[in-house]
Amino acid sequence: MSAERVYRLLLRAYPRSFRSEYGSEMMLLFRDEYRSRNAAALRFWTTMVCDVARSATSMWLDVLSARVKDYTRLVEVIMKLAGILAVLLGVFGVVSALAEAVAGMRARPSGAYVLAVSLGVIAAALLLTAGAALLRSPVSGRHTATITLLASLVIVLIARLLHPWMGMLALIVGIGSPIALLAALYWPNRRSPSTSQQTGAY
Amino acid sequence: MAKRQRTAVTPESQLPLAPATFEILLALVDSERHGYAIMKEVSTRTDGAVQLGPGTLYGALKRLLESGLVEKGSERADPELGDDRRRYYKLTKLGLRVARLEARRLDAMVRAARQKKLIGMEPA
Repeated sequence: MSAERVYRLLLRAYPRSFRSEYGSEMMLLFRDEYRSRNAAALRFWTTMVCDVARSATSMWLDVLSARVKDYTRLVEVIMKLAGILAVLLGVFGVVSALAEAVAGMRARPSGAYVLAVSLGVIAAALLLTAGAALLRSPVSGRHTATITLLASLVIVLIARLLHPWMGMLALIVGIGSPIALLAALYWPNRRSPSTSQQTGAY
Repeated sequence: MAKRQRTAVTPESQLPLAPATFEILLALVDSERHGYAIMKEVSTRTDGAVQLGPGTLYGALKRLLESGLVEKGSERADPELGDDRRRYYKLTKLGLRVARLEARRLDAMVRAARQKKLIGMEPA
């Protein structure tokens, strides 16, 4: 096997993108170096193998680091979108619960009704808090958002038990949105097992 | 419309340079060179003390290109090396400023070492 073929095989240790950009230049440089070598064959090849091992490792670390950066950016975008959605749904929830309260006050409301409406306002405020936490800090806000979303879900379920004729839209917003947001928050974890390492990059 | 601010690459933010990186910048200060010429220039200038392998050289060149310290020049044959067309690399203005700053930094370190009598004296 010729020296160039051996070196071509060694080049496979590099990431494909690096190889396609610099592979031919490296081959040319290797050819020049091989022709003009002064050292014995064993020393020459030891130097070449060490060079490939060292620089290929470094190139792969660069590639992995770039992937981690891309991934953390993706997680950040998802968190921000979830935060915006939570804020909008929270505002909507507060407004619709207050509208419900105003409408209900015209008649003589029962204690259960008042409690259900109050719980609705609290649940929507918790949704709003979750959104604000996510917008403030996409990673550290995730824990706050999880707790507030779960609390919001539990409160809506209690309100539903107290006020069984809750509207379909209120049900979707009150129960569906915390579940959807929680799924969005934890979706990136299922995509990659290395999220715990990546969160340190923020 | 709000203007988007771009993160400026300052020469100071590039320091300190890795030894191999500084050697490559030094090789490109005089003129643009292709990979093999850079390798030879570094080896000759350091009396063979610094030997850049192809992987080390192109790994460093890739990073230098990405950080804007070096740019690609034309692709042409080197009459001394045959007909193969070779990519030439040249220093950018930023690269030159970074090389100057690194040289000053190293110079200050050498002066400090001399003051402490680590160098410039006959060994005891």
